[in-house]
Amino acid sequence: MSCGARRPWWWRIRPVPAAVLLLAVALGVVLSTERLAGPTDAGQRPAWAAPALAGTTLDGAQFDLATLRGQVVLVNVFASWCGPCRDELPLLAETARQGSPQGLRVVGLNLRDGPDAVRDLLERTRADALTVLPDPDGSRAVDWGVRGVPETFLVDRDGQVVAHQPGVVTRQWLRDRLSPLLAAA
Amino acid sequence: MIRRAGVALTLVALLAAAAAGLFRSAVPAGRADPVAAVAAGLRCPACQGESLVDSRSPIAVSMRQVIADQTAQGRSPDEIRRWFVARYGEEVLAQPPARGPGLLLWVVPALALLGAGAAAARTMRARRPARVSPADRPTRRRSRRPVWWLAAAGLVALVVAVAVAADRLAPPTVTPRTDPTAVALKLAYDLEGQQRYDAAAQMYREALRDRPDDGVRLRLAFALLRAADAAGAEQAAGQVLDHAPESPDGLLVLGLAQRITRPTVASATLRRFLAVAPAHPAAPEIRRLLGS
Amino acid sequence: MLGDLGTAGLVAGLLAAPLAALLWLRVALAGAPARPARLASVGALLAAVTACAVLEAALLGHDFSVRFVAENGGRHVPLYYAVTSLWSAMDGSLLLWLLVLAGYGALFARGRPDRLRACAMVVISVVTTFFFALSTFAANPFRAVHPVPPDGPGPNPLLQEHAAMGVHPPLLYAGYLGMVVPFALALAAPLAGPDGRDWLRLARPWALVAWTTLTAGIVLGAWWSYAVLGWGGYWAWDPVENASLLPWLTTTALLHTSLGGGRGRERWNSVLACAGFLLVLLGTFLTRSGAVASVHAFTESPLGPLLLGFVLLAVLATTVLTGPRQPPPARPGVPLWSRPTAVLVNTVLLVTVAAVVLIGTVLPLIAEPVTGTRASVGPGYYHRTAVPLAVVVLLLAGLPPALRVRDRAGVLRRLALPGAAALATVAAVGLLSRPGAAALTAFGAAAFVLTGLLTAPGVPTTAGLRRSRRRAATLGHAGLALLAVGVAASATYARVDERTLRVGETIRVGDVAARLESVQRAAPGGRMTVRARLVVSSGGHSHLAAPVLRYDPARDMAVTVPAIDAGTRRDVYLTLLAVAADGGSASVRLAVNPLVGLIWAGGAVGTAAGLLALSDTVRARRVRRPHPTGRRVPVAAGASP
Repeated sequence: MSCGARRPWWWRIRPVPAAVLLLAVALGVVLSTERLAGPTDAGQRPAWAAPALAGTTLDGAQFDLATLRGQVVLVNVFASWCGPCRDELPLLAETARQGSPQGLRVVGLNLRDGPDAVRDLLERTRADALTVLPDPDGSRAVDWGVRGVPETFLVDRDGQVVAHQPGVVTRQWLRDRLSPLLAAA
Repeated sequence: MIRRAGVALTLVALLAAAAAGLFRSAVPAGRADPVAAVAAGLRCPACQGESLVDSRSPIAVSMRQVIADQTAQGRSPDEIRRWFVARYGEEVLAQPPARGPGLLLWVVPALALLGAGAAAARTMRARRPARVSPADRPTRRRSRRPVWWLAAAGLVALVVAVAVAADRLAPPTVTPRTDPTAVALKLAYDLEGQQRYDAAAQMYREALRDRPDDGVRLRLAFALLRAADAAGAEQAAGQVLDHAPESPDGLLVLGLAQRITRPTVASATLRRFLAVAPAHPAAPEIRRLLGS
Repeated sequence: MLGDLGTAGLVAGLLAAPLAALLWLRVALAGAPARPARLASVGALLAAVTACAVLEAALLGHDFSVRFVAENGGRHVPLYYAVTSLWSAMDGSLLLWLLVLAGYGALFARGRPDRLRACAMVVISVVTTFFFALSTFAANPFRAVHPVPPDGPGPNPLLQEHAAMGVHPPLLYAGYLGMVVPFALALAAPLAGPDGRDWLRLARPWALVAWTTLTAGIVLGAWWSYAVLGWGGYWAWDPVENASLLPWLTTTALLHTSLGGGRGRERWNSVLACAGFLLVLLGTFLTRSGAVASVHAFTESPLGPLLLGFVLLAVLATTVLTGPRQPPPARPGVPLWSRPTAVLVNTVLLVTVAAVVLIGTVLPLIAEPVTGTRASVGPGYYHRTAVPLAVVVLLLAGLPPALRVRDRAGVLRRLALPGAAALATVAAVGLLSRPGAAALTAFGAAAFVLTGLLTAPGVPTTAGLRRSRRRAATLGHAGLALLAVGVAASATYARVDERTLRVGETIRVGDVAARLESVQRAAPGGRMTVRARLVVSSGGHSHLAAPVLRYDPARDMAVTVPAIDAGTRRDVYLTLLAVAADGGSASVRLAVNPLVGLIWAGGAVGTAAGLLALSDTVRARRVRRPHPTGRRVPVAAGASP
């Protein structure tokens, strides 16, 4: 029985701690490679066909995304009860004004909101010129795969969603994503 | 003997009754809500770890609505789930599918159960006394000094590693200090909300030093007016009107301030306000004031 | 000024803690006198006390030049919540963490300084050193702010709603960090030679302290979640909760395997003692680095990688130190119907539950880099896996009164009555209502446990209970059974309805009706508070309830504070979800949660059981202990050259 000394060294390693060690190292490797890769473009999936979006706008006109082929459409999901939305509306209104000669349409999809509250918000943010499509029960937004407000989708001239921004859009984002599309015309 | 049989009989009867109760209880009751069942299997995309059933976020309410609509159209739970996965990706499922890494959810606990069970079975077996060979005992005497120095070096290395790593890993932008003017403005709004107009006016003045902006000046004027400092409000509104003589808000505050300082010119200012902005939210109130 | 003083405190700790490690190493290696080492440990504690006191002073004195105060202080914060804001955000809570850790170190340093204690103190001092370094370099709350802001946003509004916030984090930390002592002892045991054999006896009281405070902390956290978050539940299986449950599970197992001196279960004890603290470190990493919320958040602060590195280092050290197989001592086999068997089965199940909770918590972390999508593990997974296992664990808790060493043959006879009670409960409840299989078996198991405990010899009389050697276990198991009944009943019989009411309209759940009387808004614009008044009537009497919805613009965050009418039989739980702009209507959620009180009662009984076990252990030791503390070790005498 006095064979303890003759056993190979690995016999003396206990399986449980060794397994835990291996798992921990693996987790560390996975996480640090992720770290080195840096914040990748998570959430940027390849372009997909834009879901249907049609109905009566806030001021009574008819709107159908399908008729806008050949134009670039920025779909912004917003609500009056959402603070960040309020902050980004002026930027969107400005973008709409500047981009319209190059074939840009900006459409606000108004999620679960009252018409009065929206009108008030648009007035206050000087964004009354925006095309706004009400979505009182949120089913249109769900059809688009909206996660929260604000969220913005960029539809190119072929009706493909080419960019998608959960959260507030910035000037930088618009410059990076929207400008090339508009310039391509 | 009879007593023992009685006990056994009672236990058997109880067992049967319990089995019946368990069976009846485990069979899903007819009133189970199919919408809730589907919603329980989906995750609220706007929240952390909440299922659609529990979540109160507006998008979750909408998603429940969509589930209800689709159920009413006769779609099966599986179809509805697939519809959601097509739009939101697989992360919308409350549980990852049992493939790829999702398998780990079942493999790891199973391995833990088997491993711990095997270890427990070994523990339960009797063990003969193992003769201890002296080589196995950790009694090798080494010189103490190197150990101590090694430990000292290790500790220093630990501290240095943390210091260096903390420095290296710190995000490149060293906390982008928020614009102090914006902070001052935010605080001023809050103070106004708490009806501490004096303090709010002070904050607006601070913000104005860095950013001479008519919007801020107007807020200052309003705050001063509410803090019963009509002269200050008049002065601030006057500055706004110097730049923009037609500013409706400027005229409004000026007029209201003048009602206290110089009542004779106040109504003229307010009338000008009404002429410039007849649809202003404050207009009806001003009309009432002028009418009385 | 205060900031510099605080940083000085941290630096002093950063010097004292490694000094303590080296001095204790000298005690372990060369049998040097322990006094300087003890002083160094106390020095580390004083440094932590200074740092905490300075930050408290800065918070209370509104010194916004200190970064932590600028980010988490505020002139409007009431005194109590100004004090508790020390642990309302990470950098400050790290100071509390240090305070508790250094406190355990200084307390544990007091005993007889044999080689085992000296080695263990080295481990504790190294851990303390790491956290001082972390606090100084990576999360220093005392950094200066330019320009000094005139006011701060105040702590997270959720943490300003309930008095439990003052006790919950300190208790949790006391629980987490108490595990450092058993961990250090388990690591030290193989190094300490003959002294090391006694490590478990020394570790058990500390494990009890950790378990008791952690139990109280977890239950208080659940209560806070129930009373403040307003979603109606108390446990959501979210990563932070899971991180606290993991070490609780392994320590519960350790308290059982270490019974009776832990003979025959040496490896179990060592693995479980190490696992407890390693899981604490892992949980800290998971919740503090933001890694669970999103892998990308991990890169935003240096804390994540550093904590991960330390977890890996600790795992490595544990493997190297306790890894080599010791030749096991001889022992007889374990009879099937005996307490050791029950203990082992219990341990296996608890370890499996811990594995379930662990993989459920870290899976999103593993899956995101592999598949690219964010997997999430919802409560459904735990309901299918952890809950059935927990019901079996509960059943096991009913066994001890029946398993007696002297009379093995009579086990089944003694189990007949509890078994009959369990079956009768299942039959009655299952036939009268339909709670579902999990809840029904939980009711049965609870009946089994409670009947078993009540019919155990000596229990019916208080005098008998006072004499019983296992009275703490009896109490603890009773607490567990109560908790299980509360959880199962509130999960299955809760009734909820949600409606938008105009003033004067009524919402009904069962026999409870709530009529909306008024909706009041205060301070439009700034810190908005909406309060609804409802008259709740049930069974002939009625009372006024006022749920609140608060919005904090400084943090852009809404808090729903429910109005809870807690009763012994059931809680009436009213939440205000939204109000119309004109104040004429409000969306209200009315829930009737039966027997929720049993959950808190069970937690309280469990905590009391922990305290009782602790006092019993200490008293037994005082009777047995042969020599006074403070004697020098003879072991090291031959070691010095």
